[in-house]
Amino acid sequence: MSPEAASLPEGILAHHFASLERQNEAMRLGMWLFLATEILLFAGLFTGYSVYRFEFPLAFAECSRHLSLTAGTVNTIVLITSSFTVALSIHFARTDQRRAAVVCLALTILLALGFLGIKAIEYTAHFREHALPGKYYAFEEVKIPGAAMFYTLYFMMTGLHGLHVVAGMSVLTWLLWRTNQGRYSSRYYTGLELGGLYWHLVDLVWIFLYPLLYLI
Amino acid sequence: MGESGSSGRANVALHPDDRHEEHAHSAIPYVVVWIALLAFTALTYLTGKQHLGAWALFIALAIACLKSALVALIFMHLKDSSGMTRLVFGTSLVFVGILLFFTVADVATRFRPATPAGAPFGTERSRPEGLLEHEMPE
Repeated sequence: MSPEAASLPEGILAHHFASLERQNEAMRLGMWLFLATEILLFAGLFTGYSVYRFEFPLAFAECSRHLSLTAGTVNTIVLITSSFTVALSIHFARTDQRRAAVVCLALTILLALGFLGIKAIEYTAHFREHALPGKYYAFEEVKIPGAAMFYTLYFMMTGLHGLHVVAGMSVLTWLLWRTNQGRYSSRYYTGLELGGLYWHLVDLVWIFLYPLLYLI
Repeated sequence: MGESGSSGRANVALHPDDRHEEHAHSAIPYVVVWIALLAFTALTYLTGKQHLGAWALFIALAIACLKSALVALIFMHLKDSSGMTRLVFGTSLVFVGILLFFTVADVATRFRPATPAGAPFGTERSRPEGLLEHEMPE
């Protein structure tokens, strides 16, 4: 066993990696490959959005004005702040400030819950107004062609994004648990870093969803 | 192996550059980026509410791209990443560009003779009733 492997907490360095540095690099590369597939997944929806917005500019603008701009803006601030707190938690972990890292992760999860709460209030309003996708669309205030398509894309995009928020929250909760156990420190924090990368991607997607859905 | 023994080995095991990085690592860039992201969000909100017509989409997307660049470079550490991870991210962006550009270019360049009545994404379907072609917004 190399001196490096001996110095690490058990089970961190897999036996098929020559050094921790190489393992970290492989982990990061794997994560970025996964994030690339996520980016392309959302790109499909953004392309659909572009085509239908080009086709129905009036309906998209009109429907957009019926979304709650306040809710969208507050959610943008919430997600940006959660991205900041997760970046801080990794900073604290790699500078051996475990308690601060745990607090930042807990804050991130709370902000994620807040985001979902606001989204739930918005969804409730849409259901009440029958501003629903496809054939279920019966919104009284916008009755022009393409309006149903806007809400179809709105629900698909925010819905898929919401699923990612839930997944991200689950990952962060697990990482919170592990950080609290002291598994991440200046010696090793790549696992936590990868969880953070996923959460930042969730933020990245929302950065584009916000102006495209709420501010036409 | 005692506690002091294991920590002593850890120092030996760390790459000298890495150790320097841990000590030098600062949270200040994160704070700066967070404030910048909030400021850009305010800018998106304010310009978005003006309904600037043809420029609105361009401005909104430009700000969104700037915000994403900040998140990717600083929060996601792409600034300090290896060339390999940057290549993966860059490649995904290229393919997103291809997907978006050619799809939208196709729809945007269709004209009447090329789109028989009833064809999807023709020139007929999208027009709200009562609006003539020259009254359609861009």
